[in-house]
Amino acid sequence: MKTIPPPCPHPETGPKYWRSLDEVAETPEFRDWLAREFPAGASEFEDGVSRRNFVKIMASSFALAGVGLTGCRRPYEHIVPFSRMPEGYVHGNANYYATAMPTRTSAIPLVVKSHEGRPIKVEGNSDHPDSNGGTNAWAQASILNLYDVDRAKRFARGGSTISREAAVAQLAAVGQRHAQNQGQGLAFLIEPKNSPSRQRVQEFIANKFPQAKWFSYDPVDCDVHQKAASRATGRSVRPYFKFEEAAVIVSLDCDFIGAEEENTRYINGFSKGRKIEKPTDKMNRLYVVEPLLSLTGMNSDHRLRVAGSQVANVAVQLAQAVLNNGQAEDKWIAECAKDLAANRGKVLVVAGHRQPLAVHVLAYAINQALGAIGTTVLFHQAPELREASIADLGIALNGGQVQTLVITGGNPAYSAPVNLNWAATVGKAQEVVRLGYYEDETFKGSSLHIPEAHYLEAWSDARTMDGTYVPVQPLIAPLYGGLSEIEVLAAIGGAPIQKGHDIVKDTFRTLAGTQSENDWKQFLHDGFWKGTAAQPVNAQVSQDVVNQALQAGRPAAPSAQNLELALFRSYNVDDGRYANNGWLQEMPDPVTKITWENVIMVSKKTANDLGFQDSEFMFGTHELRQKDYPRGVPTATVSVGGQQITAPIWLTPGLADNVVGLALGYGRTEVGRIGKGLDGKGVGANAYLLRTSENPYFVPGAKVARVANVKPAEISCVQHHWNMEGRPIVREANYDQYVANPNFAKSLDLESPKDSQGNPVVASIYPNPLEREKNNPRIPHQWGMSIDLNSCVACQACVIACQSENNIPIVGKEQVYRQREMHWLRIDRYFAGNMENPQTAYQPMLCQHCEAAPCENVCPVNATVHDEEGLNLMVYNRCVGTRYCSNNCPYKVRRFNFFDYHKRTAKELDGPFYTTPVLKKTDGEWDLNKWVKNPDRHWRDDEEWELLKLAKNPEVTVRMRGVMEKCTFCLQRIEAAKIAQKVKAGASDEVAVPDGTIKTACQQACPADAIVFGNTKDPNSRVSKLKALDRNYAVLDYLYTRPRLTYLAKVRNPNKAMPDYTEYPATTEEYRVSMMADPKGNPFAPHGAHDGAHGTNGHGAAVESHGTHAPAGKGGAH
Amino acid sequence: MSDIFPKWTNRLPVLILVGLGLVATATILGVTYYFTPKYTDVGYQPQQPVYFPHSVHADQLGIDCRYCHHDVEKSWYSNIPGPGVCMNCHNQVLAADNRLAPIRESATNNTLVPWVQIHKLPDFAYFNHSVHVNRGVSCVECHGAVHKMDEVAQAKPLSMSFCLECHRDPAAYIRPPEQVFNLDWQRPENFTKTQGQEMVRHWNVNPAQSCSACHR
Repeated sequence: MKTIPPPCPHPETGPKYWRSLDEVAETPEFRDWLAREFPAGASEFEDGVSRRNFVKIMASSFALAGVGLTGCRRPYEHIVPFSRMPEGYVHGNANYYATAMPTRTSAIPLVVKSHEGRPIKVEGNSDHPDSNGGTNAWAQASILNLYDVDRAKRFARGGSTISREAAVAQLAAVGQRHAQNQGQGLAFLIEPKNSPSRQRVQEFIANKFPQAKWFSYDPVDCDVHQKAASRATGRSVRPYFKFEEAAVIVSLDCDFIGAEEENTRYINGFSKGRKIEKPTDKMNRLYVVEPLLSLTGMNSDHRLRVAGSQVANVAVQLAQAVLNNGQAEDKWIAECAKDLAANRGKVLVVAGHRQPLAVHVLAYAINQALGAIGTTVLFHQAPELREASIADLGIALNGGQVQTLVITGGNPAYSAPVNLNWAATVGKAQEVVRLGYYEDETFKGSSLHIPEAHYLEAWSDARTMDGTYVPVQPLIAPLYGGLSEIEVLAAIGGAPIQKGHDIVKDTFRTLAGTQSENDWKQFLHDGFWKGTAAQPVNAQVSQDVVNQALQAGRPAAPSAQNLELALFRSYNVDDGRYANNGWLQEMPDPVTKITWENVIMVSKKTANDLGFQDSEFMFGTHELRQKDYPRGVPTATVSVGGQQITAPIWLTPGLADNVVGLALGYGRTEVGRIGKGLDGKGVGANAYLLRTSENPYFVPGAKVARVANVKPAEISCVQHHWNMEGRPIVREANYDQYVANPNFAKSLDLESPKDSQGNPVVASIYPNPLEREKNNPRIPHQWGMSIDLNSCVACQACVIACQSENNIPIVGKEQVYRQREMHWLRIDRYFAGNMENPQTAYQPMLCQHCEAAPCENVCPVNATVHDEEGLNLMVYNRCVGTRYCSNNCPYKVRRFNFFDYHKRTAKELDGPFYTTPVLKKTDGEWDLNKWVKNPDRHWRDDEEWELLKLAKNPEVTVRMRGVMEKCTFCLQRIEAAKIAQKVKAGASDEVAVPDGTIKTACQQACPADAIVFGNTKDPNSRVSKLKALDRNYAVLDYLYTRPRLTYLAKVRNPNKAMPDYTEYPATTEEYRVSMMADPKGNPFAPHGAHDGAHGTNGHGAAVESHGTHAPAGKGGAH
Repeated sequence: MSDIFPKWTNRLPVLILVGLGLVATATILGVTYYFTPKYTDVGYQPQQPVYFPHSVHADQLGIDCRYCHHDVEKSWYSNIPGPGVCMNCHNQVLAADNRLAPIRESATNNTLVPWVQIHKLPDFAYFNHSVHVNRGVSCVECHGAVHKMDEVAQAKPLSMSFCLECHRDPAAYIRPPEQVFNLDWQRPENFTKTQGQEMVRHWNVNPAQSCSACHR
């Protein structure tokens, strides 16, 4: 029987779901490119070696391999037991230790998994009172930094290696030298941190060296929240936002989902307010005012795009409107203010770290006026921020007041404001002592360089945002003997306690008021000390300060002649500290989906004003793009105040006009081999060159100019992949429609394909091996997953968690360009609606574990099969790499190992020609020869290889070249739980794993609790209950593949009175139009007739009733 | 012309075919026997750094397997004991014996004893000891009568088909939990059909035959 794929609905208005300009433009070249399974050579072996050549080479290599007969010998291996068995150690079982990752303002409480003494996976500590166990991508990836081969490994004096003891002695000598003059001429440059132990050491030094000066610098200054709260209230307080209590949230350029330091907590709170189970549940509403499109903007219900410097204007108008009962010139602001006023006590207005203090003060003023202080905004007592700024340090250095500068954090030579002229300024100090994780830009100017210990290698402590005291406990001795910050400070200060462990223990005893060893152990065991959460203090926002903020001077708005450069913290490399972290470099930016670099982001209008044509950004249309660089984009320069950087230019929807966006943290010059990139120049462009201390984030007067006569830049963007052709993949409705028809998600099901007789095909063309097994009483589990699109905020913590858990390699920029990235879990992102200010939808996409799986039926070697519990398995040993499965997968979630990504560096895979092992001669010996001698050999530095192996999860097979792989639902965790349950059951039949025991890596990492995995056979399990909700749907349901992974449809909560209100989510336009023309009727119509997979009835009236709205008005033309 | 191809060449095609057939049969038989763990692995008996007769310890003295392999019920891995375990007895018994020198050396000076691995599964097979011994599968099923061995040798092929034999028919291999570490226990007649089947049913022993059971 022949099945005809269902028609792809195309509305009269043209596709509204677009993921790039190309899709809007619909060029034939682009259609052709998309239609191919692995676009643009992803599947072709087109590198240098011809087929004929290849056969010749391989024949000779087989011959040689035959002579060696290496495979037939039994490997001779030893088992070496401990000479002294550690107490309580069971070989083969992982240990978990509670610790925390220090951040700029607090810490993320963690539980870290340790296998045979090596930490391998970071997870959140869900026992912590202010954590659900979620983390963010940075925390997940931080473990890779521990095993970074390029980290600083030696103690260096003037660039040459000295012993650890000598270095520690020299630190003490620094202190002794300055002890005579009470620390005159001694200066410390530290990074903001919330560590009681460091504070104590600092106080000790301050007492001993009263003349010593303290400076603090971080390029991403998150202390501004405390500074603003302190200024507004006149007390030294830190704000504590409770997003979960808010019904209306207004973000004034506050990217609390992405770029704010506390994003894990904020995401958790925000998504709690968006979890709805039934139509009577309420959900929060998010208004965002911002210059660039941020993660928070992508999650907003209403978004106002204004230049960064103009956010202050909006804040003033909003504040006045709130105080003035909703009166404002601008309708957006007026209606927003009305909505705020209507939700007294349940509002939250937050300002971002890039905004000046005045905006923060206004936010607090609005919160106070609407009674939110004490409900959604709490103030906690905080130690005063006494350190001076880096600009003051520049003045002190230039004034000759600093003889010895001790830098214990950051990389100022790279990230200091450009007007400081750091290289020359720091040269004025006689001695620079530096504690650094890398031998980076700052290394050069340091006379004494100390390698810093990773936070998993050294003792420290911290307070989380709620004030709870947490330990930062090491899991491994410093791999390269590094020191921690408190140890360096203690050595310089000549403190009576020098060891990190002892300092922290001493702090604990003081803070907890206990001498008991058991309490200390309890503290380390739990990962926090109970009852140390801060009590909110009663603080009022002072009217004078608010008045000042209302009067504050306004910068001029940018214009086409006077562009405004908006610098932002990179979602990937942060401020540059993760530049050598391959996982983060290869994680697609959540907004642009670009990997491995930063680009100059502009809106379409700004680009046109600058003289760039749309065709230059479209597939194969421009003369330059037609042949050699079909996906190339133009290169441009951005110049401000005599400084200039060069980078590719990228059209980004949703940006304010006359604003140029550029991410910080790229363009490192002294960096490890990952951050150097394939050309060795450092990936991306260094935005710090354009940054001054006056304008750290929004730089006026920027000029953008085309760089003529260069080849188009090839961007490794994962955006174009796997176009889903306008089918209802992400399903969403506005809140009102959800209330009217809670079943809307199922009503959006597409029609089944018809067979040759015209009857609908209501079963898969593939057999369903689970039909029989599902009801077998002897099989207690049927696994399934549910992902709530309403909770998901696209933060990508899951992507990195999956990479860490499942030994997923990075492939490098050039391979990503060929669409060969290996992520098992990706976040698909769709823009819809108005291109200037689009609505965004996104969806975590991973193996759907179909019951009637199309991939299984096309595998010639049975390498992908089902198990009896509903998992779609991938058997690496059977796989011969035909890639038929991937071709037949409707969800495009399978990944193929084109090369030995684990064994080879990205550089080696780079062109011009990737040569096979046999054709290269390295170190005077043919690689073929080496391979014959040792088929398991690798092509990396031995040291790098050893470190890489340490980071791997021993419970997951490391895949080799030529096999397919994909999400396994964390099979290793499922099996571990099942085995543990069977061990417990012993001679009984209680083998069913209790609900909640198994958490997949993505689920564990999710700060929003959007992912739930469990046993669908148990009707009381959480996943079964979620799958029973009315918003539940399966992607591509009409194929009847019966995915075990289903989604809960997204619900937006727009405000009807807003000027940018649309009755339907923009993403639904495409299929809604065709559906309403269909006799089936409007899927959102408030009738109970759409129950079941394919509700049918002709609610013609429903079509008419919505006929006034623009897209629906064309419905009849179908 | 007839001189070019003498008459016997007429039989050549038949001879070639028969010859090829014989070669093919021999190859297939050879591969099926010599290239499997049954031939390559069974009987593997490397010399260990310290002579340790399981027969003396486990059989004559009757020491339980778990005295030394104490993690077998808790972990996927059945541990090789550290020297401390040996020295519990051997600081009294044979305290000066030369054969025990490496153990004493290890216990006092932290040197390592490089035991040679005998039972080895490929890295992509994830076997778990704890789930087997806790659910009525005895050591003897995979390791043979170790307590009768002076020097341990591999007794079973430990190939995938070997594993599947039991996973397909657990009743034939399961035994009462209290007999798991009793390597001398003999399966009574009809045990498989009666008690064996019953245990499998009552404990819901349903060993997976799909790939996910062992491969991840």
